[in-house]
Amino acid sequence: MIKAERISLSYISENALLVEWPEIICPQQHQQIIHFQQQVQTKLSDVIIDTVASYASLIIYYHFDKTTTVKLGHELSEIIKCLPLISAIANSEIIDIPVYYGLDSGWDIKFVSEKTSLTIDQVIELHSQTIYHAYALGFTPGFCYLASLAKQLQLPRRNSPRLSVPQGAVAIAEQQTAVYPTSSPAGWHVIGQTPMAMFNTENHDNDSNNQVSFSAAITVGQQVRFTAISREHFLDLGGIIHIEGNKKDIKESTKEKTS
Amino acid sequence: MNFLDVLKINGQCSIQDLGRLHSQHSGFSASGAADEYAFLSANQMLGNELNCAALEITFGQISLQAQHHCVIAITGANCAVKINNKSIKHWQVHQLSAGDTLSFSAPKTGLISYLAIAGGIQSKLWLNSRSQTLNEQSLGFNEEKIIISSKIPFGERTESITNTTNISQQSPDNFYQNETLTLRFIPQQLWQNLDNKQQQKILEQHYTVSPNSNRMGYRLSQLPQSALVQLPQTNQLSKPVTYGTIQLPKNGEPIILMKERQTIGGYPVLGCVMQTDLFRLSQLRPGEKVKFQPTTLLQAQQQLTAFYQRFN
Repeated sequence: MIKAERISLSYISENALLVEWPEIICPQQHQQIIHFQQQVQTKLSDVIIDTVASYASLIIYYHFDKTTTVKLGHELSEIIKCLPLISAIANSEIIDIPVYYGLDSGWDIKFVSEKTSLTIDQVIELHSQTIYHAYALGFTPGFCYLASLAKQLQLPRRNSPRLSVPQGAVAIAEQQTAVYPTSSPAGWHVIGQTPMAMFNTENHDNDSNNQVSFSAAITVGQQVRFTAISREHFLDLGGIIHIEGNKKDIKESTKEKTS
Repeated sequence: MNFLDVLKINGQCSIQDLGRLHSQHSGFSASGAADEYAFLSANQMLGNELNCAALEITFGQISLQAQHHCVIAITGANCAVKINNKSIKHWQVHQLSAGDTLSFSAPKTGLISYLAIAGGIQSKLWLNSRSQTLNEQSLGFNEEKIIISSKIPFGERTESITNTTNISQQSPDNFYQNETLTLRFIPQQLWQNLDNKQQQKILEQHYTVSPNSNRMGYRLSQLPQSALVQLPQTNQLSKPVTYGTIQLPKNGEPIILMKERQTIGGYPVLGCVMQTDLFRLSQLRPGEKVKFQPTTLLQAQQQLTAFYQRFN
């Protein structure tokens, strides 16, 4: 239960206000943050530029020339007062992400199994049996922070981050797990790969401007589950196994030669 | 569509407007022009809409050839600029005829110049903006990275600009300062937790801009050791960060988040530099010095309001 007194507002810059909840990773509290975010977007749409939610906080970007700090603070307090206390997470649709957890796709799965004293099968089971909550989007387009990872799997980040992990890498660090939507530098432990796209873009021909829109596979506040799939299934789904180092990547068309 | 062809380029150059302020909830950097003063001035001189996309040129060193007649304005860092090898003035409107070559060499002072074109650069829109963002470059969302032989598209507007050239004589000197730049910041809890002596130590010192500074963040030399003891020892949950956020990693070297910042971050935060000082900061080069001075939210808002009034 989160009481209104435990929520603080700070005007951190000319046009940004940070709303903070107690520093915990908690799906119920986060659900309340998302509810608050939606209320703010709807009720104060004429002064709001954008809002960004994280684990236990929300930033509100606003047109400071269209309101005053006193007026905005009052309006936000009113919304906070009426926030429902969320005791259970609503049974929303769960997003299923298929993962091939293998020694070739899971660059660090052996390391994780050794560090945690679990077998590789146990690592897979623990990672795929939890239903995760999507806490924040950030880092790179479509990158969604999911938590909380089973306690037995929690490890600090890598001592030296990799310069590049492939698109679709499924990784863990501390209490979190995520899918890398695009090839990028990474400090987390890669335990598998998914063929699922973490975002889609769509072209709209609009006058002479080539307007493109973006939709992420996971929205903040949603629930996510990873499902273990076989190597064959991964390749059938169009996945490409990216192997660490310089070895050739494996895709459906080359399956016969490599398997 | 009309084009400017890139003949030579050495260094960083990107297309920028005021960025994508409405897509941060999806994890997108706000991006946008680093020095809004120079950017908006260039558009104002041309009678453009203020959000028209322009070329942001870091440390000069680019040559372009006009394929069509166009009217341009050049602002920002003090590059030597030439049209067909003839030197031209900064903070002024010029005409380019088809075939003319425009070349920028490294600036004597400052870092970023803007080349605006009457009618604006008409590159691909992405998230309702034309701003190019470094960490999205490989994803192909908007215009490709500018290299030799890139074609920079611009609109058809060729009407007379005689009524706008008159205001082009404004001097930029009253915005930029010659002495050490003071970064006025709105303090946060971490600053309040320091005692008077620790705060004084931070304010007395000058900080050097690190070579690892870029459009994403400006890194500075270390804060006094005595001020660092208050840093939280445990990792904090990542929180949303904004333009000007002063992050304080364990090494004590502050990072000031600039236009191409990420949307959330995990480092402790000392406060937030006011926006008009961030425009000035974006013109500083590695090795130059800054100092800090706390300010109030009200002062920062008044400064920003006054700033935008210049352009209305």
